[in-house]
Amino acid sequence: MAQNETAEVLIDCQSLWKIFGDRSGAAMAAVAERGLTKTQVLQEFDCVVGVAAANLQVRRGEIFCIMGLSGSGKSTLIRMLNRLIAPSAGRVLVKDRDLAALSATELRQMRARHIGMVFQSVALLPHRTVLENAAFGLEVQGLPKPERLRTAEAALRKVGLGDWMQRYPSELSGGMQQRVGLARAIAADPEIILMDEPFSALDPLIRRQLQDEFRQLTKDLGKSAVFITHDLEEAIRIGDRIAIMKDGAIIQVGTAEEIVLDPADGYVADFVAGISRLHLVKAHSVMVPVADFLKSFPGRDIAGLLTTGPEADIDALIGLTMHSDDGAIAVVADGSVVGVVTTRNLLLGVKGTPAVAPDTGIARRA
Amino acid sequence: MDSSIIVTTFDTATDSALGWISDHGGALFDLISAVLEGFYGALLWGLSQPPDYVLALLVALLGWRLIGVRFALLAAAALLFCAVMGLWPETMSTLALVISATILALLVALPTGVVAGYLPRLDAAIGPALDLVQTLPPYIYLLPAIALLGYGPATALAATVIVAMPPAIRLTALGIRMTPPEYIELGHACGITPLQMFFKVRLPFAVPSIMAGINQSLMMAFGMVVIAGIVGSGGLGATIYDSIRTLDIAKSIDAAIAIVVLTMVLDRLTQSASRARREDNP
Repeated sequence: MAQNETAEVLIDCQSLWKIFGDRSGAAMAAVAERGLTKTQVLQEFDCVVGVAAANLQVRRGEIFCIMGLSGSGKSTLIRMLNRLIAPSAGRVLVKDRDLAALSATELRQMRARHIGMVFQSVALLPHRTVLENAAFGLEVQGLPKPERLRTAEAALRKVGLGDWMQRYPSELSGGMQQRVGLARAIAADPEIILMDEPFSALDPLIRRQLQDEFRQLTKDLGKSAVFITHDLEEAIRIGDRIAIMKDGAIIQVGTAEEIVLDPADGYVADFVAGISRLHLVKAHSVMVPVADFLKSFPGRDIAGLLTTGPEADIDALIGLTMHSDDGAIAVVADGSVVGVVTTRNLLLGVKGTPAVAPDTGIARRA
Repeated sequence: MDSSIIVTTFDTATDSALGWISDHGGALFDLISAVLEGFYGALLWGLSQPPDYVLALLVALLGWRLIGVRFALLAAAALLFCAVMGLWPETMSTLALVISATILALLVALPTGVVAGYLPRLDAAIGPALDLVQTLPPYIYLLPAIALLGYGPATALAATVIVAMPPAIRLTALGIRMTPPEYIELGHACGITPLQMFFKVRLPFAVPSIMAGINQSLMMAFGMVVIAGIVGSGGLGATIYDSIRTLDIAKSIDAAIAIVVLTMVLDRLTQSASRARREDNP
């Protein structure tokens, strides 16, 4: 993620609020002045807080997942990123331009050229062929027909639907329809793709396949994506970073590893409890410093241990441990041993607890 | 006593208002009458040119393309039966009246329906007016029409146009309003203009509803045929009206059969036109 921290910020949300209801304006003012809670806003103003004080930055080339249960405000939040919903307070900057300050025409151009969107409902026009559907965004932009059909054709080939272009949406399976939705979004070549629970309605096998394909395609094309899901496993599979939402607020943002190893509160901890650590937790999180290791096992020959890199996951570490005589693996970075993973560290890592010094049993926070 | 004065005053006022309108708007109503009769006359002239079997063949061809062989044969046979009954000119005159009335009604109803579909307030305002038009006995429209336009096809046409408008307005507005919200959202997310939203998203979804409205308007127009006969529309309506006055029951039944044939053929054709569109592009 190191390269991401220096990459350009494409979407910047600054303390974004959305309150729904007839008196949302008054409710927003009261929240700003008196700091009402969600329940108080509902009681006093009969208004519902959709999103509360959300801050997030999406950088170029990053897949940013927003995970939350239904009613957590994630769908509202993603719709404020292209202003399908206007925020009650706060700002959304896309490519350093405040969406609220754009004219109707500028906003249309922003949506058409820079922000693609894929919906859970797919929304393919039933009276148009797959090819015409994929070309819809370009048609709206006013591109001449041969050109837009050529571009749409290329987009359909990228999602593996080259043989289905003359079919109608009703002839396609759910997974294929969602691929058309994706092709329609990338045909316009936007920098940012907003994905609103695109795979939630699909069956598990197709879903995993699409998740992997989507991640690959997004990385290959160098796009940024904001991906909404209610499934933490999906967020972990796809996202470079994950934001967890509850009751309209973002309660934690981080990489999958950070969230699983260091949940911000009990709510997140409950979520990550059932998540497999095998591919999530890396050697650098479970290793102990060489000094600690030598304190517990004096005289052991560090140079004789099997070695691995700091980014090796638990799965790989278990494989190595099977081949080692003494159950300890040296973690090597830049040519020097930076730590040691013992079998005990490994087991704790599987359980989701951060590295523990072999003798003291005291947790060492990464 | 008081109440009778109120009623008398109202009636006198209505009479004098109507009188005033026909005195001062004479030129306008002559123009309207001329336009209506010209339109109807042109359509009737066109329909009267080909011999009966050519028109029956054309209808059969259209029916075969849109519905199927069985309907095509039946429709052609039924139309030729009208000719055999010696009612061909009357049948064509009624057809011209119904089609011209429906076209004129649609010219007003479709744009009105589209606007009402966009503006819920206008829709709410039009609603009671349409209810009124649809619940009043159709005879009511004949009297002011006679007073303003005189006895003849123009009056029949005007009354029929009024009766034929409501279904098309309602169903067009419904079709435009009922666009599934996810497609509206898709349009906005793609950066669509309002005009594109209408032609590329709302209208395609509204077509089945609009076609149903056109079909309903056509059926309402047929319902007026006999009534229109009273004010001199000519055609099958006049035949029925005349045979009722002379108690010529057999002839009135012949004319009624011809009306049923026309109604069924046009009903099936317009219904299938909307369905065929959906089947071509599922």
